[in-house]
Amino acid sequence: MKRMMETKQKYDEIPIPQELSERVMLEIENANIKHQQQWKKARRLSIMKKGVTSVAAAIMVLAVGVNTSESFAKGMIDIPVIGTIANVLTFRSYEEKKENFDITVEIPSIELISEDLKELEKETNKDIYTFCEQYVEQAKQRMYEYKQAFLETGGTEKEWNERSIIIKVWYEVKSQTDQYLSLMITGAESWASAYSETKYYNFDKKAGKWVTLRDVLGDDYRQIAEQSIQKQIEQREKETGMQYWYEDSEGINENTKFYMNETGNLVIVFEKYEIAPGAAGQQEFQIEK
Amino acid sequence: MKQELYDKLVTYIIENQDKFYRLAFSYVKNQDDALDVVQNAVCKALSHYTDLRNENAIKTWIYRIVLNESFALLNTKKQIIPIEEYCEIPYEEKDFEIHDDLYTQIDHMEKDTKNIIKLRFFEELELNEIAQVLKMNLNTVKTKLYRGLKTLKIAVEKEENI
Repeated sequence: MKRMMETKQKYDEIPIPQELSERVMLEIENANIKHQQQWKKARRLSIMKKGVTSVAAAIMVLAVGVNTSESFAKGMIDIPVIGTIANVLTFRSYEEKKENFDITVEIPSIELISEDLKELEKETNKDIYTFCEQYVEQAKQRMYEYKQAFLETGGTEKEWNERSIIIKVWYEVKSQTDQYLSLMITGAESWASAYSETKYYNFDKKAGKWVTLRDVLGDDYRQIAEQSIQKQIEQREKETGMQYWYEDSEGINENTKFYMNETGNLVIVFEKYEIAPGAAGQQEFQIEK
Repeated sequence: MKQELYDKLVTYIIENQDKFYRLAFSYVKNQDDALDVVQNAVCKALSHYTDLRNENAIKTWIYRIVLNESFALLNTKKQIIPIEEYCEIPYEEKDFEIHDDLYTQIDHMEKDTKNIIKLRFFEELELNEIAQVLKMNLNTVKTKLYRGLKTLKIAVEKEENI
């Protein structure tokens, strides 16, 4: 039996290449994107089947309606939304399926109830729309470039068609509190490498404007955020054994991504690879006031 | 419900990917192929997770997929490499190889016995789990294991729960 134990020890010493976790994560991301679409569809259908049971459900169904009819969309504006002065709707959603690629896009739009904010609403929605459409365009471009490279390096058209390529733009309301509305928009694509881009919109309902890090944390926002992040990184390094490279990143500046969570705290977001190994994924740090 | 099971599956994969890799490597014997096996296995597992009956089955179900993927890869290799060329493939130093008599001996055993021994001693699966992974009768697993160990001249004490 001793010999078997020794042999097992040798087996356990088979080195694990770094690439392993990257490739496993890639498959997981691909699968996540696929499944999220299915689940979303299923959920939406079940809501419609159950009928309108609450205001929240009504808004969801209306959001679906906006995509299908323009007159419906126009009528929508007159419906008052009780208790909120800002709201998020699906402005446009579409799906494009061709050969082996699948593009799904959900573009949100913000609705600010107050008349004074109509200009801000228009500007923001234009910005959101541009971000979404640009992402899809660029993703398509990247895909064609990749296809060309694939064919030039000896891949065949048939092999190419066996791959499934997904381009997806979607949004998520991160929080809707008395003071803030946080909206996240993400564009993601997957084939040989996974790529994604995220943008956050944080609206201060009381002040009636989009907030910056300085608005929330004050003039010392950089120092406050960095101190808290450093501390949290130390802890994560200890827990996961992964090495972070925050010092090599851009650090905190006006363009740093953040959102407000349900408890009203600010959460700073670093994209995958920005400050930690890809396997660690996106890194979020809650900065408590 | 389904989503919950899916999340559990993802967690299991992330936590045990090294094990899948080692097992795959022990069959295909080189890094590139072992990586392919694991990646394919993860892809299959995640796209067919609805076949999974419950979370208790995750472990044996995945091991089964990893084994199947390893054999599938070995089979395609056999088909595309003619035997003469195969002999000319130079020894690659970068690949990790286990130089151990017992390990080599296990490797040359009959397929079922080899699978059982690896799963039992290297991956430390229970006998009933092995029966599920290999879709075999529990008694068959036991018999093959005892016989295999005998061939390897490994003394197993009666009381020892192998």
